[in-house]
Amino acid sequence: MLTPANPRSLLCELTYRCNLQCPYCYNPLDLGSSRDELDADAWLRVIDEAAALGVVQFGFSGGEPTLRRDLLVRAIARVTELGGYANLITQGTFLDEAYLAELLAAGLAHVQISIQAPGAELAAIIAGTDVHERKLAALRMIAEHDVALTLNCVLHRLNHDTLADVLAFAEREGIRRLELANVQFYGWAYKNRGALMPTREQVRRGAVLVAEASERLRGRMDITYVLPDYFEELPKPCMHGWGQLALTVTPDGRILPCPAAAAIATLRFPNVRDTSLDRAWHDSDAFTAYRGTDWMPDPCRSCDRREIDWGGCRCQAFLLTGNAAATDPACAKSPDHALVQAFRDAPAEPAFVPRRPSPVEKVRA
Amino acid sequence: MIEAVPAHRLARGVRLHRSGEGATLLVPEGIVELSDSAAAILELVDGRRDEAAIAQLLAERFEAPVDDLARDVAELLAALVERGFVRC
Repeated sequence: MLTPANPRSLLCELTYRCNLQCPYCYNPLDLGSSRDELDADAWLRVIDEAAALGVVQFGFSGGEPTLRRDLLVRAIARVTELGGYANLITQGTFLDEAYLAELLAAGLAHVQISIQAPGAELAAIIAGTDVHERKLAALRMIAEHDVALTLNCVLHRLNHDTLADVLAFAEREGIRRLELANVQFYGWAYKNRGALMPTREQVRRGAVLVAEASERLRGRMDITYVLPDYFEELPKPCMHGWGQLALTVTPDGRILPCPAAAAIATLRFPNVRDTSLDRAWHDSDAFTAYRGTDWMPDPCRSCDRREIDWGGCRCQAFLLTGNAAATDPACAKSPDHALVQAFRDAPAEPAFVPRRPSPVEKVRA
Repeated sequence: MIEAVPAHRLARGVRLHRSGEGATLLVPEGIVELSDSAAAILELVDGRRDEAAIAQLLAERFEAPVDDLARDVAELLAALVERGFVRC
């Protein structure tokens, strides 16, 4: 059996709770109960075990990770103490000067903060709550401090046409790092795909706008534009290979090879309450199932891109075909590629389901 | 007349990291593997030294021609400035 290299990055999803209700969230539909959340001691042990395994990049995300204030500050301090690098992925609405000062004193290196749209009105429709101004205040506050800052805006059909305004906003604010990621269809986003799927024209125009801005702002602003794989002929190399570089721990302690993997109902994932990260990484069925190339069916097995694309995304294969070991249908060589085309070209739905613990209702956009 | 030459510094949130497996640059959500010579250059990037001063120090340390080192320093820093990991 293939002996894996050690992981280099760990995503810590501290909670699924969030005061926003973005319909593009990749979190699972079953947001669970906050009573099941790991306590601080368990998280600190996870961080220690990860560092011992070779992890240097630590991400803190959720849900909204700043909701767990005491834990977050202690966790970042532990990462720093162990020589690791702490990233915070936040929507920013709970940050004030005092809280930020605690995080920075603990050694926080990078904050990624999201906006839903460049204007408050559309942002409120998408987030289900009017917090745009609070986000901008947080963004400006963070920019004053000695910490890396990335502005993130997830793109989908409802906000894609504001992309030029997002670019102009970022330039006005002096943003150095801008991430424009087309929505990926997992969790709530998969449920809401009919309302969120961008049009081919939106995706094409977005690529042109971003290419122009990247050229003009070279050396001043680093722009990442993540293409939607539904519009490409090649799948994304999910996580650079299953169980090869990264792992995720969910709020209730499950250890996943990728943040979306909990959707794969045919796998049983190890939990930090029962096992160590080391055993999960090296020995668990969930991590060994799709590691390397031995599991691959054709066309992957005989493809000369098999160690570039790694068969694409296991979660997407499962969601679309029911078989996590299938070639990612996003690949043009997949026998199931028609599923992606049908998915992409389906008629747009006018409403989405906001992300919130059940019961849910639809919101017209 | 002497012109002011910009001094380089690591960008916010960019950290030089050494471990048993070698030197890396830790950047937002990423890891850049560094060669020994790149790490030696970056150790001297402190926001005060300019490229010439860095090349001079390396030339003394490694007993190598300063012109060669100046070219290496300029190439590395330009590449890292472009990626936003070094500022000047």
